[in-house]
Amino acid sequence: MEGDAILFLLALGPASAAGFYWAIHRHYRNTDKSHAFEHETAVEVLALTGEADDHKIEEVRGTRATRIQGDNVGLHRQRVRPL
Amino acid sequence: MAHDAPSGLPLRPTGPGSPQDMPPAPGQPPLSADDLSRLPEPVRSELLAPDPAVIDTAAKELRDGVNRCPKCGATEARHRAGGDRLVCLYCRHEWAATRVEEAFGLGEGLAELRGTQIASGARDIDADAEHLRSYKCAGCGAEVVINTETSMTARCHWCRHVLGVNEQIANGAVPDAVLPFHIRKDDAVARIRQFVDKRRLFALKAFKEQFKPENVVGVYLPYMVVDARGSADAAGVGEVLTRRYTRGSGKNKQTVFDADVWRVQRHVDFTVDDLTLESSARRGNLDARRNTHNIINTILPFDTKNAVQWNASYLVGYTSERRDRDVQHLMPKLQEQMLAIARAQMQPSVRRYDRGVRWERERMDLQGTRWVAMYLPVWLYAHHQPGKGGGSSGGLRHYIAVNGRTGETMGSVPVQQWKLLLAALSIGTVVEALALWFIAR
Repeated sequence: MEGDAILFLLALGPASAAGFYWAIHRHYRNTDKSHAFEHETAVEVLALTGEADDHKIEEVRGTRATRIQGDNVGLHRQRVRPL
Repeated sequence: MAHDAPSGLPLRPTGPGSPQDMPPAPGQPPLSADDLSRLPEPVRSELLAPDPAVIDTAAKELRDGVNRCPKCGATEARHRAGGDRLVCLYCRHEWAATRVEEAFGLGEGLAELRGTQIASGARDIDADAEHLRSYKCAGCGAEVVINTETSMTARCHWCRHVLGVNEQIANGAVPDAVLPFHIRKDDAVARIRQFVDKRRLFALKAFKEQFKPENVVGVYLPYMVVDARGSADAAGVGEVLTRRYTRGSGKNKQTVFDADVWRVQRHVDFTVDDLTLESSARRGNLDARRNTHNIINTILPFDTKNAVQWNASYLVGYTSERRDRDVQHLMPKLQEQMLAIARAQMQPSVRRYDRGVRWERERMDLQGTRWVAMYLPVWLYAHHQPGKGGGSSGGLRHYIAVNGRTGETMGSVPVQQWKLLLAALSIGTVVEALALWFIAR
């Protein structure tokens, strides 16, 4: 068996202990829960524009990252710098 | 250093941060049209904006504190459990209070909202407003005192007439509207019991021993329900995958990607109907490390469209909490939630960027808001876990909350730490033993 595979198998014990603790704690205490106002509030979009102005600025070649660095497209509550 | 002008008058400083970039302090003489034209656009528009408009939701016929049955005139009105109607305990006549949505046109004209419209029950709290209110009993003329900190109704000790606080006093105790309880107590008890039954194994021993869901309390909690119109802008970069391939061989084989990077910008105009914000400072603090208020936040939303005009008779048999936050306190939170909603609305339009989008800049412009203060119904079960940190009394207060309209239940059950740690370590040991056996094989 190769070194990486052995390390992976050895890490399974501590990882399963930590995962079990985290999952049960969250199931009991629900500290991660809050009202999903982004999806549960009645919203009417009057206009959504800007798509036509999107433009290519560069190319990335041979990256190992599966997503763009700092991807926050789904993190609606994460605030960024003011425009 | 300021130089003197030829006329002898000191020169007005100019440039960013100089006094003319600031709005005048309260009490200063009004600015001339010339001065106004020199102000930056955001300051000028704020100064020229009309005063917040007030929607008067007060029920004038109830101002004397007496809520009479329309049929027999008795004051023994109660909320009929399971519906939105009031029932007279004397003649059994039932009647419904007015729905504020239709009565005050709250669901209309969202796209035309401009400025800040505040319903009369949501006006700023006057710090000097008395919590003790004195009412003249319409039955016998006696003076009856109601402490609005703890109660919204009282019975005349001489003639047993029921009096309620129906006028909108400026201490935050009387909202514009109330959403009556639909979920009955036995239903709430069953839901809490079911919630806890799924979490018994690792629950704190003291919690299990003291668990009596019959002690659940029906409480009307204060909220601001906001309609808003705004526009948001966001700018960032997105990536589109163009090629996926492997590089190297054997041990060094890697999957790598090529992508096109795009500059992305979006603008969205939108309206929001009945966004619900906590208007209690204590409960609005959703820090899950220090309190469990996020539990009560999670059982939102309510069907606020069905809220009825304030009538203290709905509160008989329930407790209530006074509002202590004004519109100005909640404005930053509204801005933040509106931005989050805007970003959620933009997401479908950037789906083509399959490697994701990194938003780098954003802006929210609120064009109009309408604020209505409401009492919303919650069944609350509380357990105090002694210890360090948490609230002022130390420890942590765990809540299990049931939405008094939809029945949605959420809670925080305290954990017996040693038991959970022992279980986690046992599982880790078994998995590790299996892994070692597999390696040795």
